Amino acid sequence: MTRPLAASLLFLLAVGTLCAAELPSVVSVRTVLATNAVHPGTTAKVAVVAHVEPGYHINAHKPSLDYLIPTKVAFADMSFKVEKVAYPRGKMKRFVFLDSPISVYEGEIRLGAILKVGDSLKPGTYPLRGKFSYQACNDHACLPPTSVSFETQVRVVPFSVPLKPANAEIFKGIGFD
Amino acid sequence: MKKGKVFLGIILGIAVAVGLYFVNRYWIAPATTSAAKSSSDFPSAPEFSLTSLEGNSINLQDFRGKVVLLDFWATWCGPCRIEIPGFVQLQNKYGGQGLRIIGVSMDDGPKPVRAFYQDFHMNYPVVMGNDKLGELYGGILGLPTSFLIGRDGRIYAKHVGLTDVSVFESEIKELLAAPAGHEVTDFRLVGYTGSRDIQVSTPAEVNSVVPGVDVSKLTPAELKEFENILSKEKCACGCGLSVLKCRQTDGSCQMSLDQAKTAYAKFLKTHNG
Repeated sequence: MTRPLAASLLFLLAVGTLCAAELPSVVSVRTVLATNAVHPGTTAKVAVVAHVEPGYHINAHKPSLDYLIPTKVAFADMSFKVEKVAYPRGKMKRFVFLDSPISVYEGEIRLGAILKVGDSLKPGTYPLRGKFSYQACNDHACLPPTSVSFETQVRVVPFSVPLKPANAEIFKGIGFD
Repeated sequence: MKKGKVFLGIILGIAVAVGLYFVNRYWIAPATTSAAKSSSDFPSAPEFSLTSLEGNSINLQDFRGKVVLLDFWATWCGPCRIEIPGFVQLQNKYGGQGLRIIGVSMDDGPKPVRAFYQDFHMNYPVVMGNDKLGELYGGILGLPTSFLIGRDGRIYAKHVGLTDVSVFESEIKELLAAPAGHEVTDFRLVGYTGSRDIQVSTPAEVNSVVPGVDVSKLTPAELKEFENILSKEKCACGCGLSVLKCRQTDGSCQMSLDQAKTAYAKFLKTHNG
């Protein structure tokens, strides 16, 4: 009983110390790999897990109206080259400001990407950086288009080191096909 | 056990204080301020001069004596789009009495705005907005954001978010009823999207190296000294940056603005004896 209470209080205190007129941060992003490491010259699966704050939605990657700004993920092409990005389907939802439902993302969404690991990468740890771009609205107002950067460390190991699967639960729902 | 109870008591005390603050700020205060107040409390609308989509120069100063509805919007914003047919109607209905609507598009470029302008048969000028203009009007955090400016050039209301056209109509009628240059002493907000918490900035504040603080009177040496002071003070908002960096990266942060203004007042006092 005291834990939820303490959590609520911490939330209240945090809100109280935020810049009063600051733009709300609507999306947070984390990235995970499907294996504990990668081999040079092979492909690796990565998942971008985004959390959209309750009360807000962001447009799907393929929005149902041409004027809506789509959600996109871009990777900084350094040690890894993007071969494919798999976006989830949006949820069709009706809003008071539109006559027809639109395709949006809400809550937690999981995107997948297949990356080609550089052939010449020596064993070691390399950063995988990217940007998650979106435009968010709630039921009565919209925030300007923005993006959130993400970064994860990828361990490159020689072929003599076998890879172990990781984060299977997260990858289960991602359609790479 | 006893320690735990004391801790819980302290936490509960803080929670009640924070709760009361929010109740006052978002519930009691708006309800009480919706009553009429003197127009001297209403800020003057910051002047701007921009070119409309049709190539005409739009100077806010030229609209003095009219009631102006200044609408910040964008073509990618659903709630903004749905408001616009209502604005077209209002312009038709009250244009003869002195209403002038100005659209400020926050789109990246004019191409989609021109198409929208044609499709929606917009009958009022639209200019392309920018961050500086947004900052002059206190920072545009969400769209649509609309300002109602009276014949005397003061901002009487700010509406953030989708607002029913009837709300604007009521307020516009009230402002139109006032003779040019006269105060609207009994102006009353309508609906729940309106706010009297209207912050505006001057061009000197917006263009400052310490955004929000007019440092134009400082000598280069004094300015450097003031910047040093702000770069050593930590922003209270929890961003981890100095006050100077917080001001420069997030112009909408009220906490760093308050800190910078306090520091500036102190700085002036020290230097001017």
